[in-house]
Amino acid sequence: MSAVINETAQPGKTLVSLRNLNKHYGDFAAVDNISLDIKDGEFLTFLGSSGSGKSTTLSMLAGFETPSSGEILVQGQSLVNVPPHKRDIGMVFQRYSLFPHLSVRDNIGFPLSIRKHSADEVKKRVDAMLKLVQLEAFAHRRPSQMSGGQQQRVAIARALVYEPRILLMDEPLGALDKKLREDLQDELRQLHRRLGITIVYVTHDQEEAMRLSQRIAIFSHGKIVGLGTGFDLYQNPPNAFVASFLGNSNFLKLKAQGNATAHFGNQPLAIRLTAGLHTDQDILLMIRPEKAQALSVDQAAASPLQAGWNEVAAKVTEVLFLGESQTCSVVTTGGTPMTVKALSAAGMPLQAGDAVRVRWAAADACVYTEWAESDLSKGAGVH
Amino acid sequence: MLLTPNAMSARMRFGLYTTTGLIALFLLLPIVFIVLLSFGSSQWLVFPPPGWTTKWYVQFFSNADWMDAALSSLKVAILTTIFSVALGLPTAFALVRGRFPGRELLYGLFTLPMIVPLVIIAVAVYALFLKLGYTGTLFAFVVSHVIVALPFTIISIINSLKLFDQSIEDAAVICGASRLQAVFKVTFPGIRPGMVAGALFAFLVSWDEVVLSVMMASPTLQTLPVKMWTTLRQDLTPVIAVASTLLIALSVLVMVIAAALRRRNEMRLGVAK
Repeated sequence: MSAVINETAQPGKTLVSLRNLNKHYGDFAAVDNISLDIKDGEFLTFLGSSGSGKSTTLSMLAGFETPSSGEILVQGQSLVNVPPHKRDIGMVFQRYSLFPHLSVRDNIGFPLSIRKHSADEVKKRVDAMLKLVQLEAFAHRRPSQMSGGQQQRVAIARALVYEPRILLMDEPLGALDKKLREDLQDELRQLHRRLGITIVYVTHDQEEAMRLSQRIAIFSHGKIVGLGTGFDLYQNPPNAFVASFLGNSNFLKLKAQGNATAHFGNQPLAIRLTAGLHTDQDILLMIRPEKAQALSVDQAAASPLQAGWNEVAAKVTEVLFLGESQTCSVVTTGGTPMTVKALSAAGMPLQAGDAVRVRWAAADACVYTEWAESDLSKGAGVH
Repeated sequence: MLLTPNAMSARMRFGLYTTTGLIALFLLLPIVFIVLLSFGSSQWLVFPPPGWTTKWYVQFFSNADWMDAALSSLKVAILTTIFSVALGLPTAFALVRGRFPGRELLYGLFTLPMIVPLVIIAVAVYALFLKLGYTGTLFAFVVSHVIVALPFTIISIINSLKLFDQSIEDAAVICGASRLQAVFKVTFPGIRPGMVAGALFAFLVSWDEVVLSVMMASPTLQTLPVKMWTTLRQDLTPVIAVASTLLIALSVLVMVIAAALRRRNEMRLGVAK
């Protein structure tokens, strides 16, 4: 087993650098001037909708696509002119892509046989991989005689057996059902922790990205529009697109009045201290539904507003019970729709038509000065 | 499952069986007749035969002309098969994987011999080879047969190549195989059913080809169908029925082999029924 553990990993050091990477198809920029450092041993996810450039970037890393311009450096050495079979990269494909005419053992052993390792060596290392992915009992089966989850474990074993520096995974769990996907996500996370290998993972599923990765790069229209840990990207999205793409969000359009106050209609609200705002500048406030509270008029009267909190009047349009949580959709007096989410355990004794007070802490709301209207809708980024 | 046995009335089922039976009979009867006649004792191909004999088979196998024709047929068919697959494989790859202008047009051109009346191709090829002095040679036979066999080979290889997931080949490449190694080790096994079907088609096309062959034939080199054709014009001997039976037998054998290979392949890949 120790054979597959990446002992040379130097956590924190840059392993792969993408420098001003471009891929054009005619006039269309599939990948638009991307620069990114991938750290040694990290689990990095490319997250984006289809056509956002995430898979094209992965393909360029693998060598199946040639960049129109830009550099791909691994430990300072250019990969651009290295053919894919000499890149020493492992890859797991969406549809498993196992060799249908070979047994599980021969599938996993393929990369070693092609490198002309001795039969003993191949057997030893394939045995180790079979153990790692817990498929010892299936060594002689054909891929078609196995379930989707088992096939993908074979594909992972085949990608790891030759100890590549980097493992690329292109939506590897996309074809599996939800329960199995979560199980395999846990296995993958543990595998990454044990082996210390660098993994670049592509998905359009943000929950999967959160569950798996140390860092997430959010792709949109061929650009990386957000890069950071799942926590940072969710709590403090760098822009309105990321805010709306990740999770749910409420957007309020305000006019700044100094660096800590803004007008919502005629009502003054406290905002996070933001440098460089000028009076009556349009700004966008983003509040996560679970950071807001919806109080009935009576509740609001009973609990005074804390310092640093805001309150706006609204009317309930719909209350939805979702099991562990509840959401309450409201419309403010000014006509802006908002959603408030609370754990069911906390209770939300409201009904459609009730007058409510929506409250949030100014510190929890993000302030943006630049945005496009299309950023605010969920479907943004889809072509 | 529109017509499950339960949903069908007895009368409808009877009608269906009768029609199917009649069509099958219509298609099979000539074959059955010719096979029976080859064993009939009548010199004049009388049906039903007054008696049974194998003397026509003895005549066939002891006649050097017939044997030569049969061997020539086999030789031409095998060479046609080899060249059709050798040419069809790269063509199919180019037509499926290639991204170049005129790809559709090229596909049309390659499949044209299936649409153009055979006689036109035959006359054209004959005129060309006459000019070059190649008529009556093995070369002329094989070239003319490849022209008509190639579309079948190309189409059956294209069909399996389109079904083959290219990411499997990419997986082999990222595993360390060069593109060529990946094609040989992974893609060819993956499209083998199409390659085998393409080869068998080529063989069968050549094996019973008569229009081109009549043009290409010379007194010293002729295939079995040509020999049958020329013999038929002189006299109606039951040896022709023997030759026909042998043509049919080999065709059936090839089909059986194809079916067996397909079954084995399905078992091998574990394709669910």
